[in-house]
Amino acid sequence: MTTTAEVAIAPAARDRRGSPLPTGAMIMTRFMDLRKRRGLMIALIVVNIGLPSVFLAVRLIAHAVAPHSYGPAGGYSIFEDLIAGLMYVFGFIVAATLGCTAGSVDLSEGMFRHLVVTGRSRLALYFARVPAGLMIIVPMIAIGVIVVCSVCVAAAPTKLSFDGIKNVPVGLSRQGFVSWAEEHPRTTICQMGYFYRKQPSSTPQVTCGRDNQVVAVTTTSGVPTATPATTSEMRAQAVKSANQNYASYATTFLSPPLKLMIETGLWVELWAIVGFLVGLGLSSLMGQRTVPVVLLIVYEVIITPLFARSPIPHLINAQRALVGLAVAHIEPSGLPAVFGGGAARGGGGGALISESTTVAVVVIVAWIVVWTALGAWRMATRDA
Amino acid sequence: MSVTTSDEALSDSYALETHGLIKRFGASTAVDGVDLRVPRGSAFGYLGPNGAGKTTLIRVLLGLTRADGGSMSLLGYSVPRHRDQALVRVGAIVDEPRFSGHLTGRQNLQILAAAREPEAPGRIDASLERVGLSHRANDRVSKYSMGMRQRLGVASCLLGDPQLLILDEPMNGLDPAGMQDMRAMIRSFVAEGRTVVLSSHLLDEIERTCDAVAIVDHGKVIRQGPIAELLAGTPLELQVECSTPPHALALLKETNLDAAISVNDGGLTLVFAANTNREVIAEVNRVLVEGGVSVYRLQADQASLESWFLEVTSRLGGPE
Repeated sequence: MTTTAEVAIAPAARDRRGSPLPTGAMIMTRFMDLRKRRGLMIALIVVNIGLPSVFLAVRLIAHAVAPHSYGPAGGYSIFEDLIAGLMYVFGFIVAATLGCTAGSVDLSEGMFRHLVVTGRSRLALYFARVPAGLMIIVPMIAIGVIVVCSVCVAAAPTKLSFDGIKNVPVGLSRQGFVSWAEEHPRTTICQMGYFYRKQPSSTPQVTCGRDNQVVAVTTTSGVPTATPATTSEMRAQAVKSANQNYASYATTFLSPPLKLMIETGLWVELWAIVGFLVGLGLSSLMGQRTVPVVLLIVYEVIITPLFARSPIPHLINAQRALVGLAVAHIEPSGLPAVFGGGAARGGGGGALISESTTVAVVVIVAWIVVWTALGAWRMATRDA
Repeated sequence: MSVTTSDEALSDSYALETHGLIKRFGASTAVDGVDLRVPRGSAFGYLGPNGAGKTTLIRVLLGLTRADGGSMSLLGYSVPRHRDQALVRVGAIVDEPRFSGHLTGRQNLQILAAAREPEAPGRIDASLERVGLSHRANDRVSKYSMGMRQRLGVASCLLGDPQLLILDEPMNGLDPAGMQDMRAMIRSFVAEGRTVVLSSHLLDEIERTCDAVAIVDHGKVIRQGPIAELLAGTPLELQVECSTPPHALALLKETNLDAAISVNDGGLTLVFAANTNREVIAEVNRVLVEGGVSVYRLQADQASLESWFLEVTSRLGGPE
């Protein structure tokens, strides 16, 4: 070690000490700090990769043991359920937890003071955590998505089941789908969903009666009368059902298409990145980890689902500022709507509050910028 | 980067300098108009009872919290204006040294070195070696004793090859051997030309380790200067063991000595004013012997830093 007699004061400019940009070494050591938190890493991996893996493994085993009782482990519907129902929510929670950890542990463990004493810009100390955390969360989410996609493709069913109708041909055009429905009118009418619009009472309403018998219901003086439907009536109704359901059919596959998987992966990653950055900023602002984690979980599983679907007249613009709603609006087509299941696929929830894509993008960017700015500001002004 | 403008380089002769520094917490003033000058290349003690404002002053100096008034400089750089430049060659332990327990000692130093200049990571091994932690460098800090954490704290200070080390209560948690090692280490830093500011409430440690001292109480610096000079300003106490104390008292009163004299078991106690010439001791001996008093022992005691500190901080006999 050299002595002071030999070494002049090194100019701070040489190591860009006052710059708000972190050095590569700072990022890598922050990455090491987060990666070495074994308990946290195990918990995050279990939630994000372990749960879907176990779910798929159980389905694989069950299908292998009793293929007639248990359907294929993979396929498009499983992909939808796992991505929109599990990974989307858990990915956010996992990322927010990591962000809250990255934003607060230096304070709680006493390292913040050591770091400030180095003279390094506090903003650089804050911003070093961003790439360090993303280097963990992005691959972790990617692995989870890849596991799900791999199983869903490799263990996809060989025949399509649409609305409970087995053996529907895959990839039909609208005309082809309509023709198939005409050939299978009873199955189509009784199993494919159909939304009946108001029509004159004299027009018979063809629907599924008892024991899968298709009937034509006419109403005279308010009294409905059901008679067996004719073949032409059945075909006409089957055509209507097929036309109404074609949009949904067109996005139903044996296994998820590559394009959808890529888009979905990027979408889940985006949501996780938002969760990480909000967690980082919030925990830095509050100076602790537990409360911000709880707040973000509540936000994800209660507040967003609640306010994303129930418009409140005077607060609708505030509702549109929910980042969860904004991200839901840029969800790839071909997935069920998040937060409670979409009406389009039979979920119980209503439609999301309307929002243009531009507004959604602005809301997402604003959330990232505002929370990052708040976290960095608190870091720069906090007593150490 | 220019670092030598008159504004920046307040003084080259002091490693640390403050003028009228103030830090308040609400209605309470933790640092109250502190003027401090720490000469370069010295070990400087910042001595005060618990709650005197020692750690607060250090936190202000290092930019961990903002000052409410006054000015300060570190290594000639005005702080906080040029804080980043000033701290390039400053190492500090503030309060209890705490680290990330899940990481090893070496990994903790890697994090801190990454925030310093590019050469800092290359000093990690030497720093660990110097504080005697090489053999435990790859153990998790959660398994370290308090003393080992103190050593790791000192190692972290050395990463920047500091000209100025500010150590806040570095003896806390050390066993006697560890304290001896720490004293030797601090003296070796000074021998290398570094400046060490040692904040402590352990009077004995300051007296043993430091060249100069500032006494602080209730946020104010009461006295400061070289320890020898400060103690020279304390009263000289002379214990006399003799054959006939009452006769000796009478003899000494006749000589008009400028001393407070009291009789005790087997002798006398004379207290002279500060800066009394030590020739007075020989004069006492001569008067007693010529008066027929047998003198068995003469012992002159300069006040210790401890008794002096207790006196100036008005805490003699009171709880700390």
